[in-house]
Order: sequence, then structure tokens, then C-alpha cells
Amino acid sequence: MRKYLFIYKSELMSNLQYVFNVFAGFIGYFILMVIFLNLWKYVYSNPDEIINGYSMNQMIWYVIVTEILWSSLSGRSFCNKISEDVRSGNIAYNINKPYNYILYSLMSHLGSRTICFIMYVIFGMLVGFIFLGSFPTLSILSIIAVLISSIFAFIISTLLITFIGLFSFVIEDSAPFYWVYSKLILVLGTIFPIEYFPKFIRPILTFSPIYVVSYGPAKLFVDFSWNNFIFIFIAQIIYIIIAYMLCFVTYKKGVKKLNVNGG
Amino acid sequence: MLTVVKNQCRISFLSIKYALMREMLNKTTFITNVIFMVLNNASFIIQWIVLYSLRNDIGGYTFRQVLLLWGMASGTYGVAHFFFKKAFSLSDIINNGKLDSFLVQPKNVLLSVIVSDVETSALGDMLYGFIMLIIYGITPYTLILYCLFIICGGLILTSISVILSSLSFWFSKTDMIAETGNNLMVNFATYPDGIFKGLVKALLFTFIPVGITTFIPVHVITEFNINLFIIVILVTVIFITLAFLIFFRGLKRYSSSNLMVARI
Repeated sequence: MRKYLFIYKSELMSNLQYVFNVFAGFIGYFILMVIFLNLWKYVYSNPDEIINGYSMNQMIWYVIVTEILWSSLSGRSFCNKISEDVRSGNIAYNINKPYNYILYSLMSHLGSRTICFIMYVIFGMLVGFIFLGSFPTLSILSIIAVLISSIFAFIISTLLITFIGLFSFVIEDSAPFYWVYSKLILVLGTIFPIEYFPKFIRPILTFSPIYVVSYGPAKLFVDFSWNNFIFIFIAQIIYIIIAYMLCFVTYKKGVKKLNVNGG
Repeated sequence: MLTVVKNQCRISFLSIKYALMREMLNKTTFITNVIFMVLNNASFIIQWIVLYSLRNDIGGYTFRQVLLLWGMASGTYGVAHFFFKKAFSLSDIINNGKLDSFLVQPKNVLLSVIVSDVETSALGDMLYGFIMLIIYGITPYTLILYCLFIICGGLILTSISVILSSLSFWFSKTDMIAETGNNLMVNFATYPDGIFKGLVKALLFTFIPVGITTFIPVHVITEFNINLFIIVILVTVIFITLAFLIFFRGLKRYSSSNLMVARI
């Protein structure tokens, strides 16, 4: 475990040098927030109205949190990196290294995104406060619970994207799979909470990755309850195990038929 | 003059044709890219189904009009990124001195650069645009207007990218400005203009001309207005002229980096 912590720390330290690059991402994040603020203001003609259990402020905070999780993840470039490792044959260099490629990728990505995540949290909270003038009511303990849930969501997203990137063992370019995955997360998990969808779809969404990677942490932030936290926490643990197993099996099967030309 | 333009167009189309043939070498990847881009865009229909279950109209648009808006946005994006892919990485080409190989060609430098590659997935965007038009209601009238507007929109998107990327001739690190400008155009284009008010709305029809590339075309297809139609054409011509002027002004400041690259 110590070697993985070392990988995490190394990536974290090296990314401290590129901290200003994050600011460019803030512009895109801010634009999205302006769009959603306008959209929800239009949909909630009366700001005190409650739709599907959410007030307008809760809906805007919900989007702010889910977008923090999604924007700070930088999933597309991570998926490209895994895919490129497979396509270029770089992955061959990792086979004989004394570490597990999946855990290496996970820790390396977490390390590279930690500073970005912290900065997005600060910026997102600032944007929310400027737009809405108040924060949701949360105790110190519940804030810690939301943070734990967010970190777990980050880990699951990273593992699922690793899994998609490893599709390159089967089909050369795994990017199209990532587009569809990202759009499903965006449409079904980032913009609306599960309660906004028809009743017959809700159980499917509850058991899907959307529940653990975006809905869970955001729901806890806008409407915290310990019952919800325990349920989301257990679901996240189960998903971490499932996602890791999927990556592990795909990787093992993939490297068996790996054929690298040249060097 | 006419022969020069004709020759330039022929060279540009040949360049696009060969770039497409290169992309089609791996048929599975090519088809997957196109189909998944259609699915990728289609996933947003869910968002609008949910929103229209809450209200009968969003920003003054009916559900069918939102589909047309999406068709217009993806068609415009598709035209720009399929035919002029390199306009969206022009900053990198200028910054890294990769213009050298284009400078020695006896044809227009800007056109030679931007048509030198195609983005396969953008074909999916164009296809999705036509699917949306069919759902909205295709007639010879809507089809002609739609094709004209996606070409104009694509040219405006490309021109904006060229203008912002050309800043690299004067300043360093302007790739972020170009990227942000391109993102602004794409993000705002898929939401009805009626939800925006005040300063944001004013920006969408001026500095971030999404209004010209997407909103006005949707209004014109829904209800023809000759004045709005002429505005779109005029703005397109202005943006193209500006793009050429700024690029060639900046090109005078270009210096090679002695980078040795092979263009395959």
C-alpha cells in the first residue's frame, strides 16, 4: 500500500506546479452554472415552489456539486491516457513493474486531480454563494460525511473510466464509449436528481453508477440525512469492489493477447 | 480570379477527401465514432423530456423547436469540425511552428491548414442534425434553409476559432482563450435563448454570436423573416473576412521553430 501512497504523493506534488491551469477550467464551469441558473429560474417561475421535493436553491446547489465532481475529474483525458497506453503499447512497460496497473492508474489519477478538486470545491461554493446568497444548512459532521461520499464517488468514477479505457484492448478507440458514458452521467445524474425521473426508472437509476458517482454526494449536500448517508456509503463500497473487479478482469484478459511491435 | 477560387476549392475538397479516406482505413473505428456521436447527442433528449414534463414551454420553445435547435447546434458544430478540424487546433500549430510545411505550398495558407484533417465524429453530429430536422418536419423549404444555416454557422464557428487562435501570433498561451471561446459557442447553443435575460442575452447576440449561428436560424425556419435571414448571411461574410484579415496580419509576425515534422 505504501508504494501506491508514494505514487499518489508524487503526482500530487508534480501537479502543484500546474495549479494555474485549473483557472481556465473555471471559465467553462462558470458558464455552465450561468446556463443552469437561468434554466432553473425559468422553470421555477416562483422561487418558493417545490418541484419533486426540491426548491430552486436546492436544484442549483445540486448542479453545483455534481458539476464539481464531474469537472474536476477530467475523465476524457484520463480515458484517453489509458486508451493510449494500450494502443501505443506503453502498457507493456507496466507489466513487469512491481505494481498493479489498475491501482497505479487509480492512485496516479487521484494524485493529479486532488488539487484541482479542492480548487473546484472552493470555486463552486463561491459561485453558489454569489448566485444564491446562502449555503445549505450542514453540521461539521455532515460536511465530513459529504466529503467522504465525494471522495468515494471520485474513486468509483476513476475506476469506471479505467474500465472504459481498457476497452481499447478489444476495439482500438474507446473514446466513443466514454462519450456515451459521460453523457449518461451528465443527463441522468448531473442535471437532475433521481426524483425528477418517472417512478418506473428510479429503481434502475438507484442501482446504476449514477447513484454513487453524482446523485449520492449531491443529495447529501442539499438534503442531508444519516440514513441516506449509510445507504449511499454501502452502495459506494459495493461499487468500488465491482468496478475494480471489472478493470482487473478486463486488464488480465487484455494483456494475455497483447501484441506489441517494435520498441 | 474565378479560376484561382475554383482551383483553391478543388484543392480543399481533395484534401478533405484524402483525409476522410485516411480515417476510413479502420472501418470499425470509423463507424463506431459516427454512430456513438449520434447516440451521444441523442442522450440529451432525455434532459428535454424531463424539462417539458415540468413546463409546457421552455424559453418560448416547443419540444419540436428544441429538437430543431439541437439539430442546428450539432449540424453547425459538425460542419465546422468535419471540414475545418485544424482551425480548432490552430493555436498549437502556430505556437509550435508547424505552419512551415503549409507556407511553401502555392495555395492559400489558412485554407490549406484548416482543411488538412477531418474529425470523423463530426459526421455523426451532421447526421444527428438531419435526424432532428426530419423529426421537426422536413420539407424542401426547411431542408434548404437548414443546409444554408449550418454552413453559415459552421463558417462562423471556424472563423471565431481562427480569429482567437491567430492571437497566438502576438501573444503566448492564447490557446486557452481560443478553447474557452469555442466552448462558449457550443455550451450556449443548446439552450433556448428565451431562458436568458439582460446582459447574458445581449452577449449571445454580439460577442458570443450563438444567436446568429443557432437562435436566429431556428426562428427563421419556424417563421421566415427576410431581415433575420440577411443578418445571418452578412454576419457570416463579416466573420470570414475578419478571420482572413487577422490571420494574414498575424502571419507576417510568424517565425519558424525549425521543427522537423513529416506530414503523412
